[in-house]
Amino acid sequence: MLNKQGQRQITNALVFLGPACVFLVVLLVIPIIVDLVVAFTDMEQTIIVTELTTEQFRKIVRPNEDALLGFELRGSFYRALAKTAVFVFFTLTIFNITFGLLLALTTTALPDWLGGTFRAIWLLPRMSPSVVYALLWIWVVDPTERGLLNQILVNVFGTEPVNMFLDQPMALIVVANGFIGASIGMLILTSSIRSIPEHLFHAARVDGAGSLSIVRHIVLPALRWPLSYITVFQALALMVSFEYIFLIMGPARSTMTMAMLAYTKTLAPQIGSGQYAYGAAITLILIVFGTVVALVLYRLANMRSLLANPKIEVQ
Amino acid sequence: MTAAVQDWQSIARRSTRLRKINFVLLIGFLTIVSIPVLLPFFWVVVISFSARTGGVESAVLWKACSILVPAVFAYGGFHLAVKSVRRRLIAAGALIAASTAGLYLTVGDDLHLHNYRFLVNPNLVEELRGAATAGGQFPWVWVAFINSLVVAAISTLFKVTIATLSGYYLSRFAFRGRSSFLQGLLILEVFHPWMLTIPIFLVIFWIGLLNTLAGPILVLTVLDLPFFIFIMKGFFDAVPWDIEMSAMTDGATRRQAFRYVVLPQVRAGIIAISVLGFIKGWEEYVFVTALRTGNSYWVMSTYLYYVADDVMGVDYGLVAAVSVFYMAPSLLLYLFLQRHLTQLTFGGIKG
Amino acid sequence: MARIELVGVAKRWGNTVAVEDMRTELEDREFVAILGPSGCGKSTTLFLLAGIYAPTEGEIRFDGVRVNEVEPKDRNVGIVFQSYALYPNMTVEQNIMFPLRFVSMEATEAQKQAREIAELVQIEKLLERRPGQLSGGQQQRVALARALIKKPNLLLLDEPLSNLDATLRLSMRSEIRRIQRELGVTTILVTHDQVEATTMADRIICMNDGRIEQIDTPENLYRRPNTTFVASFVGSPPINLVAGSIRESRFVAGERSFPLSGITETAEVWMGLRPELLAVADEGLPATVATIEPMGREILYGADSPLGFLRFLEAAPLPRFSFGDKVRLATVVENVLFFDGTDGGRIDGASLNEFS
Repeated sequence: MLNKQGQRQITNALVFLGPACVFLVVLLVIPIIVDLVVAFTDMEQTIIVTELTTEQFRKIVRPNEDALLGFELRGSFYRALAKTAVFVFFTLTIFNITFGLLLALTTTALPDWLGGTFRAIWLLPRMSPSVVYALLWIWVVDPTERGLLNQILVNVFGTEPVNMFLDQPMALIVVANGFIGASIGMLILTSSIRSIPEHLFHAARVDGAGSLSIVRHIVLPALRWPLSYITVFQALALMVSFEYIFLIMGPARSTMTMAMLAYTKTLAPQIGSGQYAYGAAITLILIVFGTVVALVLYRLANMRSLLANPKIEVQ
Repeated sequence: MTAAVQDWQSIARRSTRLRKINFVLLIGFLTIVSIPVLLPFFWVVVISFSARTGGVESAVLWKACSILVPAVFAYGGFHLAVKSVRRRLIAAGALIAASTAGLYLTVGDDLHLHNYRFLVNPNLVEELRGAATAGGQFPWVWVAFINSLVVAAISTLFKVTIATLSGYYLSRFAFRGRSSFLQGLLILEVFHPWMLTIPIFLVIFWIGLLNTLAGPILVLTVLDLPFFIFIMKGFFDAVPWDIEMSAMTDGATRRQAFRYVVLPQVRAGIIAISVLGFIKGWEEYVFVTALRTGNSYWVMSTYLYYVADDVMGVDYGLVAAVSVFYMAPSLLLYLFLQRHLTQLTFGGIKG
Repeated sequence: MARIELVGVAKRWGNTVAVEDMRTELEDREFVAILGPSGCGKSTTLFLLAGIYAPTEGEIRFDGVRVNEVEPKDRNVGIVFQSYALYPNMTVEQNIMFPLRFVSMEATEAQKQAREIAELVQIEKLLERRPGQLSGGQQQRVALARALIKKPNLLLLDEPLSNLDATLRLSMRSEIRRIQRELGVTTILVTHDQVEATTMADRIICMNDGRIEQIDTPENLYRRPNTTFVASFVGSPPINLVAGSIRESRFVAGERSFPLSGITETAEVWMGLRPELLAVADEGLPATVATIEPMGREILYGADSPLGFLRFLEAAPLPRFSFGDKVRLATVVENVLFFDGTDGGRIDGASLNEFS
């Protein structure tokens, strides 16, 4: 028989934590397990499993005696991996980190209303619906002279019209995703800069530091943790994201990253061919990357404040 | 002590000059990098109000820019130079009047609302394109609007309720397994539903919720949920323990203390995550299509996607108008509640 | 060295006034304290001098030249913040040497100076530590060293002792004064603690509500306060202020009246009686003991009298009276102060003829 305190503890846990547990388990934990299983089956269009097999992984790698680990990546998957690496690396370093940092530093150096205005502009892409944002890009880089980019290139710089879809597809998706990615870096870093005690800035200015020295000696040391967080977390987010790539480029081979490959082989509207097991196998690789990121993130987390004990013991 | 007498005058002149150069450089940099972000949005708005059937005419855009850009800079300069609120308002009013007049004179004849006729005409797309459209029978845009509203509102309600309840519990209650739960949540934060599209599709299939609005609603609820829980926990962590302790010594139970004392303190957090949640739900495309909701229900994202697909060659103005109509609620919500979004701290990470 | 002047300086944020019409002048090597309750604008004044805030009105002058536009980094001032504001990512030595990065100086020379200044403030053994590993008192010394290393024109101290415990505060008080004398640097100390101000400073600027109430030596501030505010803020326990009026050369309060000279016209006034100058005597104002507060070597009594509630101080380890005791209070009549009843300004020349 539970005492009253114990009973209340259980009902409290159910009321406060129950819904979160149900949702997280059913739609995050179980899918991870389902994926682990399905990746080793032959599930296709009909969603019927007839046998357990490693066939899906044989679509990704093939045995090769000479290779380091005894197997090598198949061409299509190798290309997807390479494109993912290029996409993630350039988007992350140019936009999510560098631009995010530059925007945070410059907008916090301005009066608040002015800095806030520029931050609001940079948040526009994130706040507008993805289909609209993708459509804007399709129009802007329209290969004819109708496209905004070509109008500017032709009329201002006097060059020939360019066709980004064919000539620079990677640059296109890097910039399109980058405009969105920069804003997350900007937001996190802005709030980190704001949380630096004001007196440190005052002290540094009195000590003779100019703007650049303040950035170097006061701001950047304080941004170490947020920057590491952005790096690992956004690297993963970019690796698994395919929405904007799909909406702008469609199932083009030139921008077929891993996440795109899994999506187009399975669920993409009209073209998805329902190769669920194959998609699950690629997803499994993303899950492995995710786990690595989770472990890094675990080290970055401020466990002491995260796990600080509550001060009231009554239930 | 320094023996040399300092020449304060030249030092003052130099720092005034440096400060001005610095400021101009900052503004210049931000303006240049912001143009590519802002211009396409402005362009699509201009197209929606000016394009005639057939093509995209950009002359209106450049004319409008040539009036509005100087107006914006003029106001910015004025705002910096003048501190009085009343004079700023007068200046803003004058500039708005002047640029409206300027716009009316230069592009007034090109502006029209014809492209927005889809709002009142239920069968517009079919009329434009004939019956054979790739997306099947198009509904009236308001049907998609209502469906999107339902998806966004219900998923936001779920998400905010769940994040608030569990954020509070994790912040304030001692229970066995608390630290493991928090660490597990930290790890789950990494697994974005995009990564799990395929297995989530299978789970929803087995539950039997494909082809429904409920599917995307449930997935949207769990999208970023660990993150939102950490945000709310952060807000609750910031509420002083004293006020909760005092509520309890005043005779409240913990649940009453939560309801009447603690909850009002985290209003800013609730508003912030509501805005973010709603905007996510409003724009949802991936799961609406992946979970086959699109087979039975139109939402705004699929509506725009197929309208663009079907009538783009015929009528850019219409597509632009639908785009503007689609993004207006998100952007308005964001603009009005932006103040609350800047208060977000990013949960659980060393600062 | 710079001669420092504030000429009609005001600082406002929107409609909030932080400082209004500040006028003062600092002499070389002087130690001046700015004293006032919290929110009176004393820290704002300090930040205005450092260049962290720009004045809304008026001029700050160094050597007679307007420096309003000069950046803090060019003003050559040193400042110790209330929170010390040590750079958390740097060692003590790096913290102290930070200001030297911005003047052209050889690394070895900079290191030598850092050691000298560290010895002066007695932290030479802590140079390798980080701020997080230091106690409050040690952090304070590091902040002081950092402020002094570039041999500033002006040293600014923003409530430097308020985060220290009582004993440490006492020793740091004389320590700072010693260092200031040794270096001869012009210093401004901001504090809300009158004991700190009176024991350390040559002159005190007493502020209230963004305005200067009085600038004077500690002794004058106590003996000849310009206003009721200064009278009650300086001196502990606070002065007794009795509301009354002057009629026909008598001070009238309630049913009592006292003869006085030097003022004849009718006026509403305050009479100020310092508790430490009120004493129990055989003759005097009758009063009944109502409160007894032992303060260590002294005992503070409160008594109900015909003039209202009056505090008086007795130097004695143990209470001589208990609740309800009838006593008679006397004072030296020259020490009684009078202030204008409307603006609180001191009325010169008025003196009480007898107190009973």
